[in-house]
Amino acid sequence: MTKKMVFIDTSLCTGCKGCSVACKAWNDLPAEKTQLITSYQTQKDFTPNTWTYVSFTQKYENGKMNWLMFKSQCFHCTEPACMKACPVGAISQTESGYVLINQDKCIGCGYCAANCPWSVPKTDETKNKTFKCTGCVDRVENGLLPACVHTCQPGALQFGEREEMLQKAKARLAEVKKANPKANLYGENIMGGTTYVYLLLDEPEVYGLPANPTTPSSLTLWKDIVQPYCGWLIPLAAAGAVGSFFSTRLINVMNSKSKGGNTHGH
Amino acid sequence: MNISRRGFLKASGISLAAFASGLGFDVAAAQAKGYALKIEGCTKIPSVCHFCSGGCALLLHVKDGKCIHLEGDPDCPINEGALCPKAAGLAQVAHSPERPKTPKYRAPGSDQWTEISWEEAIERIAKKTKEVRDKTFKRTEERTNAAGVKETVAVNRTDGIAIMGGAEIDNEESYLLAKMGRLLGTTFHENQTRICHGSTVAALAPSFGRGAMTNSYQDMQNAESFLIGGSNCAEAHPVSMKWINRARAKGAKVIVVDPRFTRTASQADIFAQIRPGTDVAYLGAIINYIIENKQYDEYYVTNLTNALLKVSKDFKFEDGLFSGYNADKKKYDFKSWSYQLDAENKPVKAASLDDPDCVFQKVKAHYSRYTLDIAEKISGIPAAKIKEIAETLCAKRPCTVVYALGMTQHSTGVQGIRSYAVMQLLLGNIGKAGGAINALRGEPNVQGSTDMANLIDNLPGYIPQPTSSESTLLEFCTKYGTAQQRPIVAQLKAWFGENATAENDYCYDFLPKNNPANMPTYSQMFPKMGEQFKIAFNIGTDVLISQPDCTVVGEGLDRLEMLVNADIFENETALFWKRPGVNPKDIQTEVFMLPAAFVYEKAGTMANSGRYVQWKEAALKPPNQAKPDLDIIDLIFKKVRELYAGSTDPKDAPILKANWNYDDGHEASALKVLQELSGYDLTTGQLIPTIRDYLKAPIGTVSTGCWIYTGCVGKGNLCARRDNSDPSGLALFRNWSFAWPGNIRVLYNRASCDALGQPLDPKRKLIWWDAAAGVWTGNDGADVVDLNKGPDTPEGQLAFRMNPEGVGRLFTANYTSGMPVDGKPGIPTRMASQCKDGPLTEMYEPTESPTDNILHPKVSKSPCAPVNSTKIGSPKDYPYVLTTYGVVEHFCSGTITRNMPWLNEIMPEPFAEISKNLGKKLGIKEGDKVEVSSARGKLVVTALVTDRIQTLKINGVDTETIGMPWSWGFASLSPGPSTNVVTMNSQDPTSGTTEYKCCLVNVRRV
Repeated sequence: MTKKMVFIDTSLCTGCKGCSVACKAWNDLPAEKTQLITSYQTQKDFTPNTWTYVSFTQKYENGKMNWLMFKSQCFHCTEPACMKACPVGAISQTESGYVLINQDKCIGCGYCAANCPWSVPKTDETKNKTFKCTGCVDRVENGLLPACVHTCQPGALQFGEREEMLQKAKARLAEVKKANPKANLYGENIMGGTTYVYLLLDEPEVYGLPANPTTPSSLTLWKDIVQPYCGWLIPLAAAGAVGSFFSTRLINVMNSKSKGGNTHGH
Repeated sequence: MNISRRGFLKASGISLAAFASGLGFDVAAAQAKGYALKIEGCTKIPSVCHFCSGGCALLLHVKDGKCIHLEGDPDCPINEGALCPKAAGLAQVAHSPERPKTPKYRAPGSDQWTEISWEEAIERIAKKTKEVRDKTFKRTEERTNAAGVKETVAVNRTDGIAIMGGAEIDNEESYLLAKMGRLLGTTFHENQTRICHGSTVAALAPSFGRGAMTNSYQDMQNAESFLIGGSNCAEAHPVSMKWINRARAKGAKVIVVDPRFTRTASQADIFAQIRPGTDVAYLGAIINYIIENKQYDEYYVTNLTNALLKVSKDFKFEDGLFSGYNADKKKYDFKSWSYQLDAENKPVKAASLDDPDCVFQKVKAHYSRYTLDIAEKISGIPAAKIKEIAETLCAKRPCTVVYALGMTQHSTGVQGIRSYAVMQLLLGNIGKAGGAINALRGEPNVQGSTDMANLIDNLPGYIPQPTSSESTLLEFCTKYGTAQQRPIVAQLKAWFGENATAENDYCYDFLPKNNPANMPTYSQMFPKMGEQFKIAFNIGTDVLISQPDCTVVGEGLDRLEMLVNADIFENETALFWKRPGVNPKDIQTEVFMLPAAFVYEKAGTMANSGRYVQWKEAALKPPNQAKPDLDIIDLIFKKVRELYAGSTDPKDAPILKANWNYDDGHEASALKVLQELSGYDLTTGQLIPTIRDYLKAPIGTVSTGCWIYTGCVGKGNLCARRDNSDPSGLALFRNWSFAWPGNIRVLYNRASCDALGQPLDPKRKLIWWDAAAGVWTGNDGADVVDLNKGPDTPEGQLAFRMNPEGVGRLFTANYTSGMPVDGKPGIPTRMASQCKDGPLTEMYEPTESPTDNILHPKVSKSPCAPVNSTKIGSPKDYPYVLTTYGVVEHFCSGTITRNMPWLNEIMPEPFAEISKNLGKKLGIKEGDKVEVSSARGKLVVTALVTDRIQTLKINGVDTETIGMPWSWGFASLSPGPSTNVVTMNSQDPTSGTTEYKCCLVNVRRV
């Protein structure tokens, strides 16, 4: 299958959260207890049962309100740090661009999340499994639109061939820039180019997004240099047999991420 | 990874559901099985969404009687597969553990339900209905006739039975509910439309001839500009954004006017924050701008509106009052709002728009007071912005006006919507593709329940409900015009069949007659419970949450002898005897909770806002013992009739002689009811093919339950059509379902043609006169008097054929066409609908207002609006303006959505939105709990402190607006405080719609 792309045109998003419910409906994910956080936002982060949600940012300047809605989900990177990080090879990538966690192999160590620039994957501590958006790869592979795209009323989400979608995104950007000079495409070139590409109305930082997300250099060092020569460390750590520096570091990384880190939309 | 799609498609069979749930997505297993879908092996059954009036199609994936998955139907041209969050989550209703399992009964004074059988429930309800009917039936009543003489006439009315609801059930159910009520003798039937879009019908019918939204959702793609004022359509009618965005992609401009910067406003090119209840002021300024700058469409105004017609010399407007005001009655006498008439009873036409007597000059003079400056002072919208809006609307035609409850729910609701009508007629924007007043109706079948007359003052098809002043068919026709004779006789034939003959006035006597002095609208029914109403049927409504100043609702229900409640879930109204602050022991009302089937568990139609009457089959069986409302109504009526069997009392004749035979084996058949609505040719016994056949047939030879639906199943079930082709590219979709009347998609479309009957806009060709064939033809059905009467005939020029003048009404004159003959009605006569508070629109302050009316301080508020709330607050004690609304995540009272966990997750609680200035002043931070109080009640919610509401300068004074959603109550999975304990119950004088959109409150941090 050729490379796919979802174009998220935030300029058309009305923050209805239809995507969030459609995701839960298709994936049979249970609802979670929430409360209002700010503006109309109630889901503050991904969880093992929440794979996409909408954040709201209000920016009032010169008597003009910009209410910025942002639908978050896994970006499905071309160069996914999570896949690189996974100590048990549970994460794989499809030709079409989707990055998937194999639950049979996943041990729920959370190392993928710790290395994801957006902290997307979330571990269910009772199941010891880590979950995230699948891109509705099952639907896509069967010729259906991803559930979120299928349900989007205002047409803020579009799915198609990557090249075609990028053309659309660029044309739309040129149009939107006329009224919103700070508008930009987010995802085209980062992490090797992401499957979900955004048209943002403002700088990424305004949405709480890292402007230049990268694979952590420690991971590169580990995976590309240390690991090839010390492959035996992996099963060792994975089995949790040793309370080594590795696990301790992993826990620390996870803690720092859940306290803020590079997550967005809070 | 190297995966080919072909490989996946070959393999199939095993559901992914097992590993998609609980354990998440198993890549290896999915790939091994070729990404088999969880919906493999399911039957796909389409249905229609049960939330707003969009009529979006659902697609249920059903296996072994279970809904495996639900999503939008991509074949439906309304939503093209897309669904808002509420609809996307609808699978959660089908198998919800919260659905009641059996009918339940609550005995007087009891604090719990007892499960009972359907047989017992129906038996007891029917017996009580008969008992109340027998006790409260009025055979005759005294009236004062036109000569001032008192006389006794037959009224055949049952005063003790109240019926509530209709907008949440199918057309067939809504119709049977109306029919059952009238047969039992009660006209005391009100439904959501009264408190929702009542003002729409009351404003659009006097303007254009019909009270419905003029175009469709899809037609929005044809607009060049949008004025979205009084609608938060991105939230309340999310499907509209699909079509608005299509127009935007072609360059259309979007203007949003709202008291808050809403999710819709986030999409606007121009946003203006307005003080709630002041729409007439800024719209008046726009009308003034159009006239002053000669931006009106001269051809349209001259030929297609009443601009040239001469108004009576007695008509005046002075100091905030139109001529004819009676201060004691708080009512107008409409006489001086008439035309100057010629010897043939036709309005005298002026030679030019400059004639000082003509409507146009009256309009010009009236709105000249609405300067940009005055409008700014009243509404808070800067003058420059009003001008920018006016310029945009003039430059970008056709314009689609989009509104909803933000316009209707005011004591001046009709005036506001009428301002849109005046503006759109001047701009030449009605009857055109993309030119519209799109009143986005609120509920899934509120258009249908209005069509079916779940209202005290109508019969199905907008036939006036007779009062004691019209105790005979002749009196009825004399008053309303002979144009009403055909539909009422056809309806009487549908109801009473062969018993209805010309000799007995077609059983007109069997219809209950209202007492003009006792016609309570929805919110006025509750104080009458106990004293007048002994039993109330509450079908698919949650009045305890949805009525304004709702404390009186519970008190009313407490005084009933019996409440019969049918709904999907046990809502607050069903549980009113358990509400906070009361002791069930003190409440003697018997209560029945009847579990009803949900929309996709029954066959039938609903009418969306664009008048699409869409048929759906049952996709699932109702769970547990739930039944469709059609069966519930059918069972109750048949049991009552059984109890009356053999009676020779004349009062029981309407019940015993009625046509009521909808059984299809053991259940009532929705199709049989729809066929009754659509109508029969009684000479052949066949269904009437089209509405034109109905119009041609001699009176008394056809039957129609609701004449505007005539032909909807005439040539097969047209409502079930699923051809989504659109050859014209104008999004007309004429082979998708059926639109009343006569499958016309854009109402008044004769106005899209020039005097010769040719399309004015080559890009938007709706209809045209084919001279060679001698027929009106085109992409849409022609909305003309006669398809074969061309532009060379007077009839062929009429764009607004349902108005007695045949033109659009800038000035809603008091007028009935036709010639009286010896005091009897001539032929044909048609009575214009009337706005009770003025033939032109005028700015009046809301019932509770923070300021005086600077146009006429002595008549600050509506001089006609009934005020039902007994406690009125002053700005000194309650300095802030509250406006209330819904959110996209919940629907109306929340009966259904608060029982859907996915929706509770994305909107778990109510809130109050306040400006940052107010937050600073009162020390309120985002997330704090605040108490919001009015003279009528108070509640505590979470505060959202936001720049989306700004402090407004009104008459030089800083004025604060507070916004609150109202969808919560004490029951359900997600209980919360009800906003309607603080809102105002005052009414628009014409429509009876209540003023939810503005009242005064105070706020403090708790």
